[in-house]
Amino acid sequence: MSRLTLDRLGKRYGDAMAADSVSLDIPQGEMVVLLGPSGCGKTTTLRMVAGFVTPTSGDVLLDGRSILRLPPHRREMGLVFQNYALFPHLSVARNVAFGLEMRGTPRPEREAQVQRMLELARLEALAERLPRALSGGQQQRVALVRALAIQPRVLLLDEPLSNLDAALRAEVGRDIRLLQREAGLTTVMVTHDQDEAMAMADRLVLMRDGRVQQTGTQEDLYERPANPFVAGFIGRSTVLRGTLHATMHGGDVFATGGGTLLLAGRYAADGACTVALRPERLRLAPPGEAGPGSAAGTVELASYLGAVREHLVRLGPELRLVVRDPTAGNTRLHAPGDAVAVRWDAGAERVFDAADAQLPFLHPEPIAPDTLGTRMTSDA
Amino acid sequence: MATTGQALRPARAAAPLLAPATLVVAVMLVAPLLLVLRFSLDRYDPTELMIETVTGANYLRFAADPFYRAVLRTTLGVAVACTVLCLLLGVPIGYRLARMRGRWKTACVLATVLPLVVGSTVRAVGWMILFARGGVIDATLRGLTGHGLELMYTTTAVVSGIVSINLPFVILTVQSAIETIDAELEEAAQSLGAAPGRAFWRVVWPLALPGITVAAILCFILAMNAYATPYLLGGPRFQMMAPLLFWEFGTNNNWPFASALALVLMTTTLVLTAAGNLLIPRRYRI
Amino acid sequence: MPDSLAIGDQPLDARPRGGSAAVVERGGRVVAAALACCGAAVVVVPLLLTLYLSAFDESLIVFPPRGYTLRWYTGILPEFGGALRTSAITAVTATAISLMAGVPAGIGLARHRFRGREAIAMLLLAPLTVPGIAIGLGIFVLAVMIEERTGLALSGTVGLMAAAHVLVTLPWVVRLSLAALANHDMATEEAAASLGASPLRVIWRVTLPAMRGGIVAGALFSFIWSFENLDMTLFLTAPGVTTLPIAVLGYLQYHIDPLVAALAVAQIVLVGAALILLDRIVPVARAVAR
Repeated sequence: MSRLTLDRLGKRYGDAMAADSVSLDIPQGEMVVLLGPSGCGKTTTLRMVAGFVTPTSGDVLLDGRSILRLPPHRREMGLVFQNYALFPHLSVARNVAFGLEMRGTPRPEREAQVQRMLELARLEALAERLPRALSGGQQQRVALVRALAIQPRVLLLDEPLSNLDAALRAEVGRDIRLLQREAGLTTVMVTHDQDEAMAMADRLVLMRDGRVQQTGTQEDLYERPANPFVAGFIGRSTVLRGTLHATMHGGDVFATGGGTLLLAGRYAADGACTVALRPERLRLAPPGEAGPGSAAGTVELASYLGAVREHLVRLGPELRLVVRDPTAGNTRLHAPGDAVAVRWDAGAERVFDAADAQLPFLHPEPIAPDTLGTRMTSDA
Repeated sequence: MATTGQALRPARAAAPLLAPATLVVAVMLVAPLLLVLRFSLDRYDPTELMIETVTGANYLRFAADPFYRAVLRTTLGVAVACTVLCLLLGVPIGYRLARMRGRWKTACVLATVLPLVVGSTVRAVGWMILFARGGVIDATLRGLTGHGLELMYTTTAVVSGIVSINLPFVILTVQSAIETIDAELEEAAQSLGAAPGRAFWRVVWPLALPGITVAAILCFILAMNAYATPYLLGGPRFQMMAPLLFWEFGTNNNWPFASALALVLMTTTLVLTAAGNLLIPRRYRI
Repeated sequence: MPDSLAIGDQPLDARPRGGSAAVVERGGRVVAAALACCGAAVVVVPLLLTLYLSAFDESLIVFPPRGYTLRWYTGILPEFGGALRTSAITAVTATAISLMAGVPAGIGLARHRFRGREAIAMLLLAPLTVPGIAIGLGIFVLAVMIEERTGLALSGTVGLMAAAHVLVTLPWVVRLSLAALANHDMATEEAAASLGASPLRVIWRVTLPAMRGGIVAGALFSFIWSFENLDMTLFLTAPGVTTLPIAVLGYLQYHIDPLVAALAVAQIVLVGAALILLDRIVPVARAVAR
């Protein structure tokens, strides 16, 4: 069985830390996705596992044994490259057979294995073609079964779907996931696309600037983001920096960018903080009385996206919120210029203090509108 | 590279761009070579110099005389040896250069280009001090063993000289060919279990073969054509085609025979170049 | 399907390593490194020895020398000044002409697809594959014939030499221009045209700047190829109109002394400095290394 462990893995280039004490324990058969914007160190981490980058600190262990001293060609890792890196001078079958040839697998066994792999990839008919004669999706499948043919101890996927068009991406992603689960392959995938990551991972690792921001399941990262970056990246929350004022009763007032929100919850803090609001947990209402979890604004952009509609609502000169709500029910698209109210529940908002730690949510209380009015004028 | 829109552009649009260069080559290459062909069929006369006629006598003279055949053999031997040596030495360097990055790469490429600006004549001097009687090798060996070793005016000297002149060209050509091969392909091979050396032979070598062929052809032609090196390092008794041709032309004033020699040299070079190209598996040919 | 994907579960060290293959691998790496070192030595050692020789206080090449002097450097210009000038004029002229004819040809070949394109490309690159000594003889003979017919003085002029050199410098310019455009996206030209630029303006403002590296590399190779051309030029010189390689050759016939070594060192230092300066403006190394 293969358990892959990264122990405080780090890579320093000059003064910059491409990866900074990345720790991760992946049990047999789990698929972990390293996610983050470009330059966050996810690819460097993957290449350290594959053996192409030598870490400056930390260790990589396979079943508890360090593999750092093994060169890439003895690590037994199946690696799928972003651009597939198919050998352009070899046929599809020879590409798939390459790893087995390197291992000196006897010919009958090798041919049988290649045949199995081609069937798996549904490429039997194209076995003698050169890679350049294949479509992008077909090339991707060759790259995948080429890596699988060597029966790797760990499968490494470097942005495997990024060169496919959107329609194909979901389908190929499912294929990879099915194969990986059937074979019980310990897998690390790298991607910058959060939808891809959410769809494929058992567990996610969100990275930024070489550091792990949060490790956990999709739900962990979505519902309990460790910091504003996680909240903003996962689910594309609107992240606002501003000032929080606790009120006597009811929700807190949050002011930023020339506008004001009345938060749904109460928080044990005052002063600079960050609020993240999930667009899909906000809803539009006719303009009306202010209350906890509300803000008044004007529609600037409205789009009908099929399952959901999306409104960009302007609350102040520098303050805009994206609101995404289902189109089911008797909802209509607002016209730009319409005055609306945005409303939400405490579950839609995440509040972080100046040190980016999430603030505990106290308890919502009703609030008297007149109190709020005085507070707001005194703020302005 | 070209979109379908471009494919439909008529040749007329390209004509003004291509005409000057094509004209230069036609006038300066095709016309002189036709003239050389014509002259090689003329007859030489010690007093009249050249008599216009159509005869194969010059070629027959070349084919019949063992001396000339030996000169062609020496030239071929030296050129083949130089090409093989240049590839042996140049491919490892070209590969390393292609995979280098940053400042070191710039420095190494400039260091490879720099020797090119010093002509073959001048560079022969460096070898002279190494090979000559009383030179570095001779004096060092004499000091150590009591016996000197004079390499000047030997095949070794000529081959070393030509290799040293041609090698930078071979390195740069090989390097630019390998540069176009994605380093990720080697990583893919390694991740599939190929040690770096094996990854090179199975992936980089076949893909670089067309570029390596270009380098080999360039080197072979330059060696077949070498004048200064055999003249300076080979001495008066080491005969290669180019010095012989110039001697027939300049000293003997035998233009028809010099023309025949030029065509023999040219044909041999082109035929061997084409044959060398055929030796490469079809899918890798340029 | 799942059984076909069974995961190897032996410890890594128990897997076959291929003992003899590892030896071959290591041996191969050592041989390759040794060859690379040899190659570097073959190029560099003669140059270092030249540097060393240029300071010998001897008028014959005798090792070790009696003493060292820098007087040879003062002798360079009086001996080779004229030839140096001829070579420089010839090389600059040939380079300028081959840029003017070669860069458009490179653009034409890269940007247009038409019948006979392959043939023209082959013709333009052909001078590199024909022995220069044959071309030199041919050009001399052609010049003599034209002289006989028209009375123009051609042979032994710098003009004829430059024209002949264009033939061998042109292929470098065409080749490197083509290479420079191979990785260049045509969409930028289409964008410029759609913004209202005329075809000539597109070439001037978009295509040529994109080719900058290739043009510089082409000019560099042209200059080098012309400056050190010997085989063709042999036939074209005249008394008083001699290029540097031929002057050196003539000099070496009669005296083998450190003067030529001093000339080589001076050339390397000057050109090296020029290259390093040039590389700051245009990345020459990157352009050459394509």
